[in-house]
Amino acid sequence: MSPVISTTTDQDALLRAGIDRSLRHPVMFFLTSGAAWLAVSIFLGVISSAKVHSPGFLSSCEWLTYGRVFPAHINALVYGWGMQAAFAVIIWLMARLSRKECTSVGTILVAGHVWNIGVGLGIVGILSGYGTGMPWMEFPGFAWPVLLVSYFAILIWSFIQFRVRPEGHVYISQWYILAAMIWFPWIFITANTLLYCMPGHPVMGAGINAWYKSALIFLFFTPVALGTAYYLAPKVTGRPVFSYSLAKLGFWSLAIIAPWAGMQKLVGAPIPFFLPYVGAAATALLFIPACAAGVNIIRTMLSCRETLEVSPALRFTMAGIAALIVLALAAVLLNLPGSTLPLTQFSLSGYGFDILALYGFFSLVMFGATYFIVPRVTRREWLSRRLIKMHFLFSVYGTIFVALVALFGGLQQGVGQEAWKEPWATAADSAFPYAVTITFAWSLILFSNIFFFIHLTLMWLRLGRRSSHPTLLVSAHGPNPYGEEGDIDNAGPGHATAH
Amino acid sequence: MSLSKQKPDLEDSINVTEAHGRLVREAAACSREKRLAANGSEPISLWVLAACGFVALIAGGILGGGGKLLAYGSTFRPGYVRDPAPGAAAQGAQPKEALAAYMAKGAKIYSAKCQGCHGPDAKGDGANFPSLAASKWVIGETERFAMIILNGLQGPISTGKSYGAGMASQGAGLSPEDLAGVMTYVRNNFGNSTGDVISAEMAKAAMGISDARTKKGQQATADELAADHLKALPGEALDPKMMVDPITLAPTAAPKP
Repeated sequence: MSPVISTTTDQDALLRAGIDRSLRHPVMFFLTSGAAWLAVSIFLGVISSAKVHSPGFLSSCEWLTYGRVFPAHINALVYGWGMQAAFAVIIWLMARLSRKECTSVGTILVAGHVWNIGVGLGIVGILSGYGTGMPWMEFPGFAWPVLLVSYFAILIWSFIQFRVRPEGHVYISQWYILAAMIWFPWIFITANTLLYCMPGHPVMGAGINAWYKSALIFLFFTPVALGTAYYLAPKVTGRPVFSYSLAKLGFWSLAIIAPWAGMQKLVGAPIPFFLPYVGAAATALLFIPACAAGVNIIRTMLSCRETLEVSPALRFTMAGIAALIVLALAAVLLNLPGSTLPLTQFSLSGYGFDILALYGFFSLVMFGATYFIVPRVTRREWLSRRLIKMHFLFSVYGTIFVALVALFGGLQQGVGQEAWKEPWATAADSAFPYAVTITFAWSLILFSNIFFFIHLTLMWLRLGRRSSHPTLLVSAHGPNPYGEEGDIDNAGPGHATAH
Repeated sequence: MSLSKQKPDLEDSINVTEAHGRLVREAAACSREKRLAANGSEPISLWVLAACGFVALIAGGILGGGGKLLAYGSTFRPGYVRDPAPGAAAQGAQPKEALAAYMAKGAKIYSAKCQGCHGPDAKGDGANFPSLAASKWVIGETERFAMIILNGLQGPISTGKSYGAGMASQGAGLSPEDLAGVMTYVRNNFGNSTGDVISAEMAKAAMGISDARTKKGQQATADELAADHLKALPGEALDPKMMVDPITLAPTAAPKP
């Protein structure tokens, strides 16, 4: 790369650096506390998964019974890690793309602490037996207004930044992120008011709950992750997004299809019976937005293979998008009312689908964004290439084991449940080996994420490498195109390399 | 080509090399970033369209498989609920042992009709409502017990004690099965254990006797009961082990499979 740098690029870089500096503490706060919740959640996940195959495990402890640990695991994953990772990425991306420094760091940090206290009290509430029993809404009733208010206090500033942005083009990532920021309050307020404030028929309540789960995945986590991937892929490779029309197709089909999905969970239940069928058809149709965005992002990344191989951000994003494609295929294959849908209703499959969406797709893209954002906001480079590699390998293999084993093991379990003349224990037995595998895989993921948390904390404390050379996933023994690793403060003039 | 050899078009007072060096040191990650390029304009590939079209066909099949989606008459597609196993529908409910079946029916009647006064533990209160536990009026002769339930009881009993205004008639709305159930329940619960099952036929006979009383419609008295009804109800008590239908209480022909 030739170091021809004009003053406008320098000013541009200074502006970006200013934006990054203004966001250092909010972004690092959300990422680090999110990573801590992720470790807690996976720890609870290991316990709850162990109880599936060894029911006697820790059974003497009342607050560690399955009915409490499992919801605590999922809620910590969704509200502790997922939402906070999304906050970090949204506030950073929106500031960058709207070219505005963040001026409300204090409010965001206070609201972030309130959010964490809300999640923490909610988890304690679940573990002490006050869970509501509604999937993904198990926090006791006090929690949701707290979360809603802190949500607005955290993200309202990104709306304002978008509103006062300089004139010009609205980038694809901004469509997705803006949509996610608007859709989350819509689904969150709808589900919570309908279930807490004006509860109707309980069967319909279960339907609303199933819709909320699906909408949270496809109307919040999916657009946030896609917006991030649409930013990272062209940014790191330096190549244009493959196809603008494909991006438009992906965005609008998601916006139109996703709100209909979800109620297929209640097929056969006494609700108006077009609801589950429309839900199943819409979930299958979600293949279209997933395929459009996935192909677009993958083609963009493949246009610069050498970068894809060494950049941690791109590798994680690539793995996440691959998981999205698998998720889209699973959405088609698991929702055929004549054959597979009854098998997935009460088995491990639903869990596998959730984990594939939350961890395999969303979290991997968030990890990619973390590896890109953190060196910029802390002005330090990642400490260890090996930790990143380990995090990548354990996450990818762990996801394959947890999600795919749960998806297809769940089908086996469903077949066992359908054979209703056999004792129920037979169905449970057919899920046994899959449950053991899931426990093992969660343990691997837990191991790598504890180190991810430590790595992030060290970066926040500005104990990262002082260097102008990024930490890339090159082989330790191969030639490093960017000089010796650990080259401290070698940023003399003319060494600015692009990557 | 090193930066110091460049001649940027700038006023002389700015040392470009130094400014740039500072930038690279302080914001290395930001300055090495690439700019977002303009969006590509590749057309949507035919393969993507074909895959999406195929999935749309599947989704259409799912929706079409639902039948008349907006028919509110039923909540699920015809044929969604699986057929019962061969012969399962004809069997009805699983038969139960007579004692358990009569007790279950009696427990419902007791909680509806008796529990308000005699209490959930049947201990009464000693002043207005007598205890049913170990009472000879309960575990003694069955006809006397049936007459008290059907007609009520007033005035002093043999010990000379009066319980308030007496007991009101409880016969209204009782079927013979209900009466047999509640009698069996009280006689085998709350510490009582006569072990016999009052059959529905015996209860029916008790209703006939009650209708034939001279003071029909009035509460019974201890004297009347001692004079006319101090005997067992006609008919055979059921074998407690016999299998009956838990709902109709009719004996089932076939023994438990």
